[in-house]
Amino acid sequence: MENGGYVGGTNPAGKKVIAELRGVSKRFGDVLAASELNLSIGEGEFLSFLGPSGCGKTTALRMLAGFEAPSEGDVLLDGEVVNTLDAHHRPVNMVFQQYALFPHMTVAQNIGYGLRQRRPRLPRAQIAEKVGKALDVVQLGGFESRRIWEMSGGQQQRVALARAIINEPKLLLLDEPMAALDRKLRKEMQIELQDLQRQLGITFVLVTHDQEEALSMSDRICIMRDGRIVQIGSPQQLYDRPNSRYVADFVGTSNFFDGKISDRSGELATVALDNGMSVQGKPGADLSVGQEVCISVRPEQMKLHHRHAGVDVEVHNRIFLGEHTEYLVSHETLGDFLVLSPRQSELAEGPFNVGDKATVTWEPSAALILDRN
Amino acid sequence: MTQRTRNWLLLAPAGTWFLVMLIVPLSVVFIFSFGERAPSGGVVPAFTFEQYANLPARWTAFKNTMTLAPVGTLSALVIAYPLAYFLAIKANPKWKTILLVLVIVPFWTSILIRSYAWIFLLGGRGIPALLDFVGIEGVRLINTPFAVLVGIIYGYLPLMVFPIFVSLDKLDKRLLEASSDLGAKPWRTFVQITLPLSIPGIATGCMLVFILLMGEYLIPALLGGGKVFFVGNALVDLFLQSRNWAYGSAVAVTLVVVMLITVTVYMRLISRLGASREDVSIM
Ligand SMILES: Nc1ncnc2c1ncn2[C@@H]1O[C@H](COP(=O)(O)OP(=O)(O)O)[C@@H](O)[C@H]1O
Ligand SMILES: [Mg+2]
Repeated sequence: MENGGYVGGTNPAGKKVIAELRGVSKRFGDVLAASELNLSIGEGEFLSFLGPSGCGKTTALRMLAGFEAPSEGDVLLDGEVVNTLDAHHRPVNMVFQQYALFPHMTVAQNIGYGLRQRRPRLPRAQIAEKVGKALDVVQLGGFESRRIWEMSGGQQQRVALARAIINEPKLLLLDEPMAALDRKLRKEMQIELQDLQRQLGITFVLVTHDQEEALSMSDRICIMRDGRIVQIGSPQQLYDRPNSRYVADFVGTSNFFDGKISDRSGELATVALDNGMSVQGKPGADLSVGQEVCISVRPEQMKLHHRHAGVDVEVHNRIFLGEHTEYLVSHETLGDFLVLSPRQSELAEGPFNVGDKATVTWEPSAALILDRN
Repeated sequence: MTQRTRNWLLLAPAGTWFLVMLIVPLSVVFIFSFGERAPSGGVVPAFTFEQYANLPARWTAFKNTMTLAPVGTLSALVIAYPLAYFLAIKANPKWKTILLVLVIVPFWTSILIRSYAWIFLLGGRGIPALLDFVGIEGVRLINTPFAVLVGIIYGYLPLMVFPIFVSLDKLDKRLLEASSDLGAKPWRTFVQITLPLSIPGIATGCMLVFILLMGEYLIPALLGGGKVFFVGNALVDLFLQSRNWAYGSAVAVTLVVVMLITVTVYMRLISRLGASREDVSIM
C-alpha cells in the first residue's frame, strides 16, 4: 500500500486494508466539508474520527456508507473504487446519530430488516433465529415485540446496534452513537462496544467529538479539523507525539508557551519564549530556526518544588484528586498553567498551599516544540 | 378557575357553533323528513314514512354519488401521491415552497369559473375537436361521467396533495437512508418505509375528499349537464325547484346516514391498518 502524502496514515502492519480514502474531498455548494482525506482502514480495526462539531466527521462517514459521493478522490472498499455505488450495494452498515429506528416496526422487525432485504429470501425461521441471537448479543432478549417508543434511549441504541450488525458488515460505521446517553450509561456502552467489536471481529469506524471516548476505545484515532485530517495515530502516539498545538490541545490537556526557535542542533532545540526566557525542547521534524512555534508541556510532566532552581510561580489553586493533586500556578509573564503532582512527590516535598511561592521544572525532552496552529 | 370550568370555556365557542349550525338544522331536517308536502311547497307536519318509501325514485343520484365519490377519491389519490412525494422528498428545498404554492393557486379562483374552463375543454370545440383533427372521430366528453370525474379530480387534487405532502415532509429522511443502508432497493424502501409512514396523510386526504364529494353538486351540474346527477343535485332540485321539502329532507337524512356508515367503516379499516401505531391516532 502506498503511503505517499499520508498524514501518519500508514495502515497498522500486517492488516488487510478493508477501506480506503484517497485524496477525497466533498463540497456542498461553497462549503468544503471534507478536504484531501487520505486514510486506509485495516480489517478488524477500531478507528475513530475525532474533532469538534462541524469539522466533517459525519461527511467522511457518509461517503464510506454511500450516502454521499466524493467531489474529488476515490473511496475504496475491499480494493475496489465505490465512489457512486449505492448504499444498499455496500457491505457496510451504520448506526445513525439519532438511531433512525423504524417507528412503525417492533424491535424484532427493526433488527430483522436487513435480513428481510436479502434475495433469495431467507426462511422466516432463520431470520427469527438470527434476530434472537442479535438481541442476546445486545442484551435485549425478551424485547422482541416491544415498540420503539416503549424503549429507553439506551435500549434504542442497542436496537440500532443489533440492526446494524445482523448483516455482518465488513465495516460498521457509528456516528456519535453515545452522544444522547447520560454519562454513566455512556461508560457502560463504551465498554460493551469494545467487547462487541472483539467478539465479532468487525471493523468499527466511530465518529465522536468526545476525546475520552476516542482515547479509551480506539486502536487508531484520526484527528480532524475544518474538513482536513490533521494527524492519525494510536491514542498513545497522539498523546506523546502530537504534530501540532491543535492535536496536543485536543488530546489530553497541555500547557503552551509561545516563542521562536533560536537554535537547532542535535536532539534538542532552543526556543526563545516571547517573555524573554529561553528553554530547550524536543522539536517536531520540520521546524527550522526563526520559526514561530509553541512549547507544549503536559501537566504531569511538570514538577513542583519548594526550593529548587526553576520557573518561579505562585500557587493559585489546589485540587486534591487522591492519587494526584492538581495545581493551578501562575507566573508573572508566562501566565497560568497546570501542574499535576503525584501523591509520591507530594509526600517527599511536602504540600503546597494556595499563595505559596514555588518553582516548576520539567525535563527538556518532555517539552514538545510544535507548530502554533 | 378550576380545570373543569376552563375546559368548558374552551369548548364553549365550538360547542355553540355545532349546536346552532349543525345539530339544530339536522334535527329540523330529520323532523321534516317524516312530514308531508304542503300544496304551496314547504312541509305539513305529520308522521309518515311515505317520503322514505319514495327514495328509490332517486336511486340514480345515490348510485352516481356512491360510485363517483370513491372512484374520484381514489383517482385523486393516485395522481396526488406522486406529486406530494416529489414535492416533499425529491424537490430541491429551495423550490419546495414555490411549487407548493403553485398547487394552491387554482384555489384562488372560484371552482365555478374553473369548471367553465373545463366545459370548454371537454366540449365540442375542445379536446374532441383536437381528436377529430388527428382522425379520432365522434368522441363525446362533456356531460358524461368521465367529464364529472375529470372535474372532481381537478377540483379536489390540492385537498389530497396537502395532507400527504405534510406526512411525507415530516418523515425523517434518515429512515430512508437507514433502509438503504440495510440493503433495501429504492422500491422496497418505498413500500416498507415511505408508504406505511405516510398512511396518516393518505387517510386524512381521502377522508376530506370523500366527505366533500358526497355532498358535491356544482361539478356534476356543470360538467354532467343534468345527465350525471349527484345526491347534491337532487337536493338542490327538491328544495329549490320543486319545493318538496319533506321528500328533500328524507333524501338528505339518507345521505347523512350513508355517509356516517361509510366513514365509520373507513375509520375502522384505517385504524386496523395502523393498529399498533401511535401516529395514526390523528384520525
Ligand atoms: N448536506 C449538506 N449540505 C450542506 N452543507 C453540509 C451538508 N452536510 C454537511 N454540511 C456542512 O459540512 C460541514 C461538515 O459537516 P459534518 O460532516 O456534519 O460535521 P461533523 O459531523 O464533524 O459535525 C459543516 O460545515 C456542515 O454545515
Ligand atoms: Mg456529525
